[in-house]
Amino acid sequence: MKKKKSFTIMLATLMACTLTLSACGGNKDNSASSGGSSEKPVELIWYTIGAPQKDTDLVIAEVNKYTKEKINATVKMKMIDYGDYSQKMQVMAASGEPMDILFTSSWAFDYVQNARKGAFTPIDDLLTKEGKGITETLDSAFLEGSKVDGKNYGVPANKELPALEAWRFNKELLEKYNLDISEVKSLESVEPLLKTIKENEPNVTPFAISKDYMPLMPFDYLIEKMPMAVKLDTTDYKVVNLLETPELKASLATMHKYYKAGYVSPEAATTTSTDDLMKTGKWLMDRASTQPLADNQWSASYGYPVVSTPAGDSIVFNWSVMGSMQAISANSKYPEKAMEFLNLLNTDKYLRNLLDSGIEKVHYEKIGENMMKNLPDSKNYDIPTFSIGNVLLTYLNEGDPENKWDEFKTFNDAGKNAPLLGFNFDTSKITNEIAAVQNVKEEFWSSLMTGTVDPDVYLPKALEKLKAAGLDKIMAEAQTQVDAWVATKK
Amino acid sequence: MSKRNPKEKDIHRLRGSWNVVFNLIAGIFAFLCVFPFLFVVIISFTDEGALARDGYKLIPSQWSLEGYRYVFQNGEALLNSYFVTISVTVVGTLISLFITALYAYAISRKSFKYRNFFAFLAFFTMLFNGGLVPTYIVVTQLLGLKDTFWALVLPLALNAFYIMILRTFYTTSVPDALIEAGKIDGAGEFRIFLKVVLPLSLPGLATIGLFSTLGYWNDWFNALLYIDNPNLVPLQSMLMRIETSMQFILQNSQNSSLSLGAMQNMPQDTARMAMVVIATGPIIFAYPFFQRYFIQGLTIGAVKE
Repeated sequence: MKKKKSFTIMLATLMACTLTLSACGGNKDNSASSGGSSEKPVELIWYTIGAPQKDTDLVIAEVNKYTKEKINATVKMKMIDYGDYSQKMQVMAASGEPMDILFTSSWAFDYVQNARKGAFTPIDDLLTKEGKGITETLDSAFLEGSKVDGKNYGVPANKELPALEAWRFNKELLEKYNLDISEVKSLESVEPLLKTIKENEPNVTPFAISKDYMPLMPFDYLIEKMPMAVKLDTTDYKVVNLLETPELKASLATMHKYYKAGYVSPEAATTTSTDDLMKTGKWLMDRASTQPLADNQWSASYGYPVVSTPAGDSIVFNWSVMGSMQAISANSKYPEKAMEFLNLLNTDKYLRNLLDSGIEKVHYEKIGENMMKNLPDSKNYDIPTFSIGNVLLTYLNEGDPENKWDEFKTFNDAGKNAPLLGFNFDTSKITNEIAAVQNVKEEFWSSLMTGTVDPDVYLPKALEKLKAAGLDKIMAEAQTQVDAWVATKK
Repeated sequence: MSKRNPKEKDIHRLRGSWNVVFNLIAGIFAFLCVFPFLFVVIISFTDEGALARDGYKLIPSQWSLEGYRYVFQNGEALLNSYFVTISVTVVGTLISLFITALYAYAISRKSFKYRNFFAFLAFFTMLFNGGLVPTYIVVTQLLGLKDTFWALVLPLALNAFYIMILRTFYTTSVPDALIEAGKIDGAGEFRIFLKVVLPLSLPGLATIGLFSTLGYWNDWFNALLYIDNPNLVPLQSMLMRIETSMQFILQNSQNSSLSLGAMQNMPQDTARMAMVVIATGPIIFAYPFFQRYFIQGLTIGAVKE
């Protein structure tokens, strides 16, 4: 009997302990939230993408000195590495973790999907009040293209707007065989070059591709790397199945021809990267997405000259507009302050460069009015420039041409809008079909696109399987949504 | 063995030919297990250029220490992660052993009235759990562990499966009579537990200890969820970050800013392999330490009187 009683007492004590503990936890939260009274500066919690850096706290302390004075707010920046970002943010958003500003994009922590889920605050009103500077500096296509169901949820970073694919060439080989790339544009046009190299340089892979390769097609995809698409020059907005188009058939036949001729690596359908070829320089050409002055960056990073020529037109796609954005969390307590901060970040040269390159004379030094040089300590603060805001405000790096940002402006102006710019496919009704089609797609996509298998044999098979998985239903749903969207536009 | 009469037949022995066959099978299997790791070690010592040129070779044309040099040059973060992993493993294993042993002992004693209730409580968590987001909310908001050392230790501290193992171990290999004997000699509950039960259960504790050591050493998911502070990132999580980020960047190569911006920061193949070697190395030494008890643990209780 005695034992029983002592047990009860112990249990009671334990319960009491737990209660106090949890109460303590609760209290801490409350005190933190009440800390943001009117006179005290507001602390904004900011999650952004990139490998965490050693000197982040140092730089942020400097940032806070400035922002406290300017807008009476401080920030707490937390960086999450590329590979973890989506997963971690998904959990944090779902659990209501306190945060104010967060990075989002078409490729990490999916912007459209999370905007629809209600993870972000709509910023249309904020933009007109606190965010005037942003609307003034940004190309209007950025804000227009990043609308989800008619509302803006994120501030796009001012950077290259359209997407442009280019053929890249190993310049040393071009010069050795005196090859001319001025006539190169289509996939078919490169054949003579590939042939020359194949015949003369047995150790060189003429056309470097990996399993992610697919021929450049004049289509705007409803979902990237899925077969539902609209032609770029469409007038009737008809959703077509890419695999049934004559354009793709022709390209695949060409790829298969190249494969049989040995222009591409026999392992193309399974290799994940062409990194090894780039390192050794044993390649003639490949295709990559480009931006102004990309040639210089490639050459510098590979250690030998690389030149490129456009492989298509520069087009403003949804995903290129949403390439990098900062959104305000739906549970932010200070959306106005957050917008004030984003506004400052996108318009204030001092703040933008402080966040991008670190502290002057510690991480970098200025070697001209608008040019800087990294100091050895810059390795302790190296964050992806494009991810946090207006790129055009950042200082030029040593060796960059003076007119770099002008070239970006010209590049942006040259981009044509894709037909579906501003349209976002809502897949909530057809999630099962999408998943099924995705699975089927995995089976054959790489081997077809790299030309490893004969399209005459495998394309019909693939089509049949995709249809069995429900592709037609997806296409019908897509068509309904596109039609409804086109109707609202007129 | 040599003193034994050669003609006397040892019934435990296999015939010579079978012995060879079984040894061969075991040997091949062991080799298959060790080989990939051996290969990783070789690659980590290969010259980067040779690797790009010839691919993975068992005997590379050119050896190099470049991978390790790279790792140790940027070594501050690595050493820091090492330190985090080791502290988490040591502290975690101790805590885990401590509470698992206590819990399991309590529910193994027949005189404990609520043993079935507590056994069920533990068992229940093996079948059902709250899922990712509720767990996250409990850890970060209720317990306030986000970005702390304890977020790496506490979520793994108590495992229902280990409790079950240890309880079974107590009930089968610590006879009730011994506990009673202790009581008759005037020992209290704590003394009985410390002086009688624990020494007898060393093999069981070592097994659990090994499991949780490995669990802590290899854990990266808790760090992924709860840790933002770069100074608190354990080794496995750091490796995982490097790998997943690289893959991620490769898959998103159509985004020109991303691929151009991140291109310079990618570590080379050999450096990654060197990191794997460095991360796996120390834990190998944990095995022999535990193995002594481990074998005992497997044989003890195999035959009951």
